[in-house]
This record gives sequence, structure tokens and C-alpha cells, in this order.
Amino acid sequence: MSAEATQPTTSTREVVFDVRNITLRFGGVTSINDVSLQMYRDEILAVIGPNGAGKTSLFNSLTGVYTPQEGTITLAGRSGDTPQRVIGQKTHVINHMGVARTFQNIRLFPALTALENVKVGVETRMKAGPVSAMLGLPHQRREERESTSRAYELLTLVGLRSRANELAGSLAYGEQRRLEIARALGTSPGVILLDEPAAGTNPVEKRDLADLIRLINRELDISVLLIEHDMKLVMSVADRLVVLNFGSLIAEGLPEEIQKNPAVIAAYLGTSAEEAVAEVENQPELHVIADDTSNMTSLEDAGATPGEETP
Amino acid sequence: MSASIQRRPGERLRDNPLVGRALGCLALSFVLALMIGKQEGTQQDFGLAFREAILGPRIVWFLLIGVLVFLLLTFGPRVQPYVHRPGIRPLAIGGLTVVVAFSLLKWTDSTVVSDGKFSTLSEAASKTGQLAPLARTFFTPPLPWVLFVVAFAVAAAAIVLRKAALSWVGVALSVLVGLWAWYSHSLVVSLLGTPDHSTGALVALLGFLAIAAACAATALSAEESANTRGFVNRIFAWRPGMPLVAVALVLGVMAFAIATWFSPSNQNATLVDTASLFSSTGLAPLAKAYLSWLGYLLFVLSLALAAFAAYRRDPRLAWGAAVLGLVSLVLNLVALYSISALGAKSAFDGANGPWDNLGTGGWLASAAFLLLAGAGYVVATAGRERGTIARTQSDVLAGIGKIPGMSKALILLVVAGALFYPPMATPFWQKVLVSEIGIYVLLAIGLNVVVGWAGLLDLGFIAFYAIGSYTTAYFVGALPIQPPEWMRLSPLLCIPIAIVVCLIAGVSLGYPTLRLRGDYLAIVTLGFGEIIRIVAVNNPGNFTNGPKGAFGIPTPAIHLGPIHIDWGQSSLQYWYLLLVITGLVILAFNRLEQSRLGRAWAAIREDEIAAQATGVNTRNVKLLAFAIGASTSGVAGVFFASQIGYINPDNFVLNNSILVVAYVVFGGMGSLPGAMAGAAVLTWLPEFLKDQVPAEDRQMWIGAVILLMMIFRPAGLVPARRRTAELHGFDDASSAETSAVPAGEGMGGTK
Repeated sequence: MSAEATQPTTSTREVVFDVRNITLRFGGVTSINDVSLQMYRDEILAVIGPNGAGKTSLFNSLTGVYTPQEGTITLAGRSGDTPQRVIGQKTHVINHMGVARTFQNIRLFPALTALENVKVGVETRMKAGPVSAMLGLPHQRREERESTSRAYELLTLVGLRSRANELAGSLAYGEQRRLEIARALGTSPGVILLDEPAAGTNPVEKRDLADLIRLINRELDISVLLIEHDMKLVMSVADRLVVLNFGSLIAEGLPEEIQKNPAVIAAYLGTSAEEAVAEVENQPELHVIADDTSNMTSLEDAGATPGEETP
Repeated sequence: MSASIQRRPGERLRDNPLVGRALGCLALSFVLALMIGKQEGTQQDFGLAFREAILGPRIVWFLLIGVLVFLLLTFGPRVQPYVHRPGIRPLAIGGLTVVVAFSLLKWTDSTVVSDGKFSTLSEAASKTGQLAPLARTFFTPPLPWVLFVVAFAVAAAAIVLRKAALSWVGVALSVLVGLWAWYSHSLVVSLLGTPDHSTGALVALLGFLAIAAACAATALSAEESANTRGFVNRIFAWRPGMPLVAVALVLGVMAFAIATWFSPSNQNATLVDTASLFSSTGLAPLAKAYLSWLGYLLFVLSLALAAFAAYRRDPRLAWGAAVLGLVSLVLNLVALYSISALGAKSAFDGANGPWDNLGTGGWLASAAFLLLAGAGYVVATAGRERGTIARTQSDVLAGIGKIPGMSKALILLVVAGALFYPPMATPFWQKVLVSEIGIYVLLAIGLNVVVGWAGLLDLGFIAFYAIGSYTTAYFVGALPIQPPEWMRLSPLLCIPIAIVVCLIAGVSLGYPTLRLRGDYLAIVTLGFGEIIRIVAVNNPGNFTNGPKGAFGIPTPAIHLGPIHIDWGQSSLQYWYLLLVITGLVILAFNRLEQSRLGRAWAAIREDEIAAQATGVNTRNVKLLAFAIGASTSGVAGVFFASQIGYINPDNFVLNNSILVVAYVVFGGMGSLPGAMAGAAVLTWLPEFLKDQVPAEDRQMWIGAVILLMMIFRPAGLVPARRRTAELHGFDDASSAETSAVPAGEGMGGTK
């Protein structure tokens, strides 16, 4: 529990994402309903909620995949950036503004090697065009060397240095998750959005993952927005939590506050608040409440279709 | 499957699956018999075709095919364990090659022998008294087939029984028979006294060498699990460069001992004959020396040096071998130039310039020297460390365990073939090489960028080819509307303009349509292709000259100060121009594939959403793919227009677009060598079939080849590393293609 170190003092801290009253509908189904939240520089903010609560829709709205019908989102991606509107921007532009993400159902480039996957990320920040590549001009070669060495650094960071030349598709599940993080870090983001990074991983991998998330946050000074069902992991890494249910924000606060919040417990267990509190007191460590098998989506599942997250 | 063979008592015959299978196979033979051969009856006798197909004696052959299929299906599982034995594949390939050489290919161009095929030639040769007895014996009708069957059987027995001694017998036998075939052929050629471009004997020799290699693989591989690929890998890992030396040895021996060097009418002079022919002429002393002794000396020296350097893995010696090989190559070409120029000056056999009337020998020697120089280069750059051999499929895909020098050696072989085969070929094949194979290879390279790398299905690719051609026609002034006088260009100068025009066309097609994906994009591009063609047919003002097209497009020429090169009508000269252009394009595209743009293409092909989220500007990256592919096609268009001299809209029909897609898929989507190989094979095949099957059946055979390819090798001829992964999955542990043998092991272990 690291929350004591980073009690947010909302008035002074720089805001990364400023989400105001966004509503996202798919036809008649409201996926996100009037949600407002702020994410601050250098914090680890976790978004939790039962399946279908609108977490991934929120991510997709933040990264320009979906366009909310109402509300505004502004972003100051890297430290010192002036806030800019997000809604209406293309996904890759938002990425260039300093937002990197991973996907709930891993979306690597399976037929590229691990190294090449990371290089794709690193190279979106580079300049050399096709003509200089065809002629092999010096600055293109320099960029190539830089991107290779940067990619190796990142692979070392996530512990995949020795598997650099394996095909991404042939890596183990947990390794693919970490490779996705490395690829996202390759775009030198100011904020990284992790969508259920622990899904389908074993307890040892979960512990390593928690360390990695803290490392990204503390050493690389990257703000982390995290969706996760594993409450143990969330409670151990998150500075602050927001809870979504049926598309609405039902709670916001420090981990220990959220753990005791009757509305949250009710949302998860589907019982009345009083019963839920009673149950929690018998079982203080909330652990993997959500149906975890639902997250074990296969690689082939392209996923992320609108409405997937709606109840 | 063998379980089903046993019949339970009381079971009726009709229920036995074997009976059904046998009947099915025989029915298949009837269908084949009906499909192959004459299909027309006559007005008087409508049953004629049917009777000829089914009731004639030829039905026996088709029934045999059916029986063969039945046996294969029934006993396939028992044969299965032998399929991965080392040597099985070269044996099969060699056997097929020899059968093709004996039954389909021509063995002589001479008009004395009616169709030049092996059987007619051997009929004629066996009765010709003046032919040397050695050759006459070889051509005595059943003997060549018997020799082949014996060599094949010995090789098969050696592989099945794993007897090293028998294998060596097989090696000796196959090499001897192969050389005997080639030597008899060259005796026939010198007897007939006409220039000869036939390929039958050479292909037969290659087939026999493949059978010999199959035997050698059996003899040399000790491991139970080893296979042919592993064997080849081990040879390369053992001594990089050595295989090239071996190929050069065969080519060189053929060149210096048997082949024709100079062949004006009624002369088929080998190197010895050529030397004596020119001994009393005013030939330059260097060329004289080369013909009489220097050539042999250079060949032996560079062979020995390359082999020694390869054996010792000594980079300095290897560089020496490379330099010696190149110097010999230059001297060889100088000698060839001298004798052909002198011959042309005395107007031998209507020669109208240097390089005419040369035989195959000089070119074979050139290839040998190039390969020796290349072997030196391979050895010098491979370094001293031994390669590791890939252990799993994914190792191979990831490029791990690359055998040092293997790809370089393959490239060198292809380059040697591309440089020195065309001068040996008949004018017909030279023309095919330029106007079919060369141009479509260039188109396939361009389309591979769009379809293979970026994953955008483009069915209107030929439109850019048309735009390139018509751009050329405009700027050389071959269209009804003329460019201003100062803008008239020579065809070669049209290349950059065509590139720019096609870039613009590619972008303007791509910009509005690239938000579409997959099938939708395919339909839009198909429409675009048709629009361009129809505009060329019919447009206000008729600036394209309608269906008549543009004609009188000049041939390319360079006039720079003292340099005057005009490509004129000779296909061979165009071939070398095309080779230079294609070479440059390949170099550039190879770099492109390894660059950030190449990876971005792969990324959007694999997962567009993820690519966007990783910051790839998918629209620009796709547009670049479209534009770069289009401009390659434009270059091909310029070349086509100026080589043929006239173009019309019929050159740019939808069928051609689909063919180019087929070439890329056939060769291996996303693989540069694959796209080239696919285009080369599928443009060569119809021309080859012209001699073999009725014209109306040709498309059927080509379709059959494509069908078989897609069933048995769906990733294409030369699969792309990145694409293979998608087709084969990632955890392919069976990895029949690779062996688990460390480099350098297994060589010489003959037990």
C-alpha cells in the first residue's frame, strides 16, 4: 500500500486527463453516462468496476477510438504540455500527444519479432522517410540504430531481452502482456493506459507486473491509468481509484476508502450495501471478484467492437 | 487407414471402403482421359471423341494413373515414415526433372530432326552411322530410359535400406549417366552442325545430379531424423562457399571440355576447335593465349584457390579467389568479344556485330568464374565462426540460425543465371524473358508492396502500368495530342516522369478509398482499373487515340557525349537494361522492407487498431504503399511501351491485374524473392506449355499448377518470414523443415 505517499492535493497538481461530463452511446445503449474525472501527473489511477461497467469504453474514448456524444476531454500528455482537446482527434494523433495504451485482449503484431514490435512504437517518433530508407542515407541509418538500441532497452526493462528475436505470437501469454507494455513505452508517452494487464497471468507474474507498473511510474515518471479486476494488484499499486458501474462513476478515492465504500461493494456483489459491508468484514481482503475467465480472450479475438462492454 | 483394409467376415463386398476407393480412382482416370486429348467429334460421327478417349489403347495409361493414385492412398501411411528421409526430395525432384527432360523438352534445334524432342532424336541418332559409337549407344531407344530407371532404383534402394556403399554406387552411376547424356547430346549437335539452344540435355544432367545428391545425402547423414534441408544446411555450415565451388566445377568442366564456343553456320567449335580456328588469324594475342592455354590455367587456378580458401576458411585467400575469379571473368569476356568481333568482321553467317554466333561454352565459363569469385566473397564474409542451425520453426521464422553465406550463395546463383543464361537461349526465349517474364517480375515486385507488405488487396494494379505506358507515349509524341517541343523526351527520361505521375495517381486513388478495408477496397480498385482502361478507349478529344492506341514509340537510347547506346530491336540488350532497373528496385525495396516504413506496413497489416494506438499514421503509411507500388508499375509501363513500340488499351485489361495478384500469391505474399519467383514461373509456364499442350488446354494446366500449389504450399513458392507465421501458427513444434543438428555435425559420419 503506497497511497500514504501520494495523497493528491487537487488544487496544485497538474492535470493529465480532464474528463468532463462525457456520455457515450451506442444506438440506444448508454455505455458511459455523464462521467467526470481528473487524472493527475505522475499518479497511478485505477479504474475498476464489474464487467460491462464501461471501463474499456472510457479508455477507447480517451484514445480517440470512440467519440463521446457529449462532454469534453482535455489532455496534457507530457509534463508542461498545454491542455488540448481529445475528442475528434485521430488515435495516432492522441498517441503522438503522449498517450500510449495496451489492450484488454492483447493486440500485438504477432508475425513480427518482439524487437520489431517495440521498434514500430519507437519509430513513430522518427523522421526518416521512404526515400532515405531506399537510399540508405546516414540519418536513416542513425535512426535505425537508435531505435534498435532503444527497443533493446525497453525489452530489458520488461524482462524480455533474451526473447527479442522470438516472434511476438510465439511468446507466452504473460510475456505478450509485457511486450505490449514495452511497445507502448516505445512511443515515449507521458501517460500510459493499461487495460487489464494482469488478466490471465499467474500470481508470480502478477507480482512482477505490480513491480513493473511502479517502476514505470516512479522511475520513468509516466502517469499510469489502469483497468484491472485483480483487487489485490489494484490495491497494492494504485494511488487512487475510480469506480464505474453501468456507465456511471459511483465512487472515487483512496484504495482503503474504496474498499469500505458500500456502493462499490454492492455494485460488485449485487447485494444491498448493508449486506455487502457485513460480508466484507468477514473477508477483509477482496480478491478477484469479477469473473476472471471472461478476460481470457484469445489472441484471435479482435474484440473491441462497440457494445462489447455494454451489459 | 490400414485398419480399414482388414475385412471382417460376413461383411459384404459393397461395404468394403477399399472397393469404393478403387472405383473412385478408376472413375478419376476416365475423367482425366476425357479431359486430356482431342475433344471434338465430327458432324458425321459425334461419338468419335468419346471413343478415342475411352475406347482407344491410350486409356491404359490413364487407368494406370488411377491405380497409382489408389495405391498411394491405400499405402500412403506406410510410405509416410520414409518421406522425411534425407534424399527423398532431391530424388523425387531429380526423377521428375529427368522424366521432363526425356519426354517434354527439346534436345536439338536442328530442323533435320522433326520436333527435336528426345524420343525422335534418339530414333534418328541410333540409326546414324557417322555418329560416334558412344553417343549412338546412348541414344539406342530403350537404353536411356533403362539407365534412368536403374539409377533411380539404386538411389531409392540406398535411401530405403540406408546402405552407404549402395549410395556411393548411386552417386557414381547417376553422375556418369548424366554426363553421358550431355556428352552424347553435344556429339549429336556437332554432327548436325547447326547452332543449338536446346535445354533437354542440360536439364537431364541437372536431374541426374539431383539424384546423385540424393544418394550423397543418404551416405553422409548419420542421423535418423536428418532430412534434406538439414543436410544442405550442414554442408553450408561445414564450409560456406563450397557448394558454389562445386557448381562452378560442373559448369567449368562442361564449358572447357564439351561445350561449343563458336558456332557460325556448320561450325560447332569447342574451345580446342576455336583455338585452332583462330590460330592463324589476326586475333589479339591475349585472346589467342586465352583460347589456347590461359583459359584452362585460369579456371584451374581460381577453382583451386576458391576451394582451398573455402576449406581453410581463410578470408585473405578468399579475397584472393574473389579477385582472381573476377579478373578471369573479365578476360573471358574480352576473349569472347574478340573472337565474335573478328567473326563478325569476316561476316561469318550473317553476324552483324560482336557477341553474335557465340556458343554456350563462353557463357558457361563466365558463370563458372562469377560463381568462383562469389564463393571467395562468401567465404571471406562468412567469417570463421560456425553457423547454428535453427531448431524450431519459430527460429527459422525469426531468422535465427541463419547459415552463413546461404542466402548470398543463392543470390549469386540467380545472378549468374540472369546474366549468362539469356545469351545462350533462343531468340524466342530471349523475347519471352524481356516482354513477359522481366516486365511481370517488375510488376509483381510493385504489387507485392501493396498486397504483400501493406495487406491492401489491389485488383486494379494494371491501371498504373497503363498510366506509365501512356505517359511515355505522350512525352515521346506518339499520341494525337503532342507535348510542346521542349518537353519531348527520350523514353529513358520518361522513367522519372512516369514515377511522379504514378505516385500522384496512386495517391489520388488512395486518398479517398483507403478508409475502406479488405474486399471493399478490392472492388474500388477493380473499378479504378476499368475506368482507366475505358478512358483510354474512349474519351472526349480522343487524346489516347482510342482502341487503335499509340504507335511509333521510339526505342530507348542514350547519347551522352561520346557514348551512344541504342537499344534497338535486340531482346538481349533490353534484358540487361531491365536487369539493371530491376536490380536497383530490388535493392531499394529490400532496404524499405527493413526500414521503419516496412515495419509500419507489417503493423497495419497485422492489426490496424493496434498500429494506430502505437502512433502509426495508418492513412499516410497506406498511401505510401499505394504510391510506391504504383510508381514501380509505372516504370514497368515505360519499359513496356518503349520496348514494344506500340500500346493499346487491350494491353491493360482486368485479366492482367488478376494475373499479377496471382503471381504474388503464388510466389509468396510479402516476400520479395517470392513475388519475383512467382511471376517468373507463371509467365514462363504458358510459354513452355506452347510446345507441349494444345493452345486451348494451356489455361487449364496453369490453373492446375496454381491449385496444387495452394493446396500443398499455401504460403507460396518462397514464403515470407512474416507471413509464414500467420499460416503455420506459432507453436509448430513438428518442424519437419528443420533439423535439430548442430552445425558441422553429421558431415562425413557415414555410418
